[in-house]
Amino acid sequence: MTGERDDRIPETLLFDRKRALRGYRINKMAMGLVNPLNREAFKKDEEAYLDRFGLSAEEKAAVMSRNWREMVRLGGNVFFILKISAIDPVRLTEIGAHQAGMDHDEFLRKRLGKT
Amino acid sequence: MAKLLGGLGTSHVPSIGAALDKGLRNSPEWKPFFDGYVPGQNWVREHKPDIAVVIFNDHGNSFFLDKVPTFAVGCAEEYRPVDEGWGPRAIPPFKGAVEFSWHFIDKLVENRFDPMICQEIEVDHGIQVPMELFWGRPAEWPVKVVPIFVNVIQYPVPLPSRCYEMGRVLREAIESYDGEERFVILGTGGLSHQLQGARAGFVNPQADKAFLNDIAADPAKLAAMSREEYVETFGSEGAELMMWLVMRGAMDREVVVRHKHYFVPASMTGAGMIVMENKVSAPKTAAA
Repeated sequence: MTGERDDRIPETLLFDRKRALRGYRINKMAMGLVNPLNREAFKKDEEAYLDRFGLSAEEKAAVMSRNWREMVRLGGNVFFILKISAIDPVRLTEIGAHQAGMDHDEFLRKRLGKT
Repeated sequence: MAKLLGGLGTSHVPSIGAALDKGLRNSPEWKPFFDGYVPGQNWVREHKPDIAVVIFNDHGNSFFLDKVPTFAVGCAEEYRPVDEGWGPRAIPPFKGAVEFSWHFIDKLVENRFDPMICQEIEVDHGIQVPMELFWGRPAEWPVKVVPIFVNVIQYPVPLPSRCYEMGRVLREAIESYDGEERFVILGTGGLSHQLQGARAGFVNPQADKAFLNDIAADPAKLAAMSREEYVETFGSEGAELMMWLVMRGAMDREVVVRHKHYFVPASMTGAGMIVMENKVSAPKTAAA
């Protein structure tokens, strides 16, 4: 099971063996979105598309609510799940802010030093 | 005789490519970033390399988690831009330096590196963005490429020292290559950034600037660092900076820094560029 407790570097989720195993289905689903036909399928009936990859109810809920922090907790890797943002646009900094638990402006200011 | 003209280092942040696609080169947000690359572009224009060896990582575009090569080397005639989910970008395909790729692969295996060998593969922003940053947007690329893919995404990723050692083999391959081609090597990735976990958005400008000094002056120090130290210092995704060590390992101990640039943040990343030449081959003019 994926646990942040096991991580040595604070607030940092290395994509290690346990996450690569835990997140395989969710990442495979997201990887599928490099295919235009799959992007259409995702747009048309998202849940049916997710079912094709055998996602659990918990995983589906995380994807369908665009809960990035939860997707990552479930083993999703940003490089894969980011492909969802090609269909349902969201900025990378918003995905970052969500994981940091900050609103977007606060995130830009505090983490990235933007004024 | 084949000749190494220099070693280049650069970030490969995808937003850089997206900014170019959207015509934001001269927007207030991006102009200072792109302006910093002008000296690097001029250097490339003056030196006219024939072959660019580019070390980068795939970002879940050409490889999925079903097969993860620690090191892969391309030996294709052509490398087309891959569809990362937004459709393939409208940039010309890259021509491969096929002969040299195979020669390099031979040298790797003789030196007990055993890479995946790719005769057909598409390439993502990891190589596209560095090429655009140094060569601009030509109708056709004036240089052939040798892509070296390094797994820096799924652990276990290789050791920084291993990247440095691979550079020595790359140097041997260039020196033993029977051709007149002029080479540049691009180490890409970084600098500090973190995209995952509650520490997302972590950047470390001080460490980035130190890295830009050390990559020239003390690469052995950077090669001796552990993977965990890279993650702590540069962020979970910034750890990919270790790929610059392949480029640096192919150069002499003594180098001259021609150009250097640092900008933060490009999207969520500390972005940097360096142009280095071996000291013995560098003309004796003042370094930038």
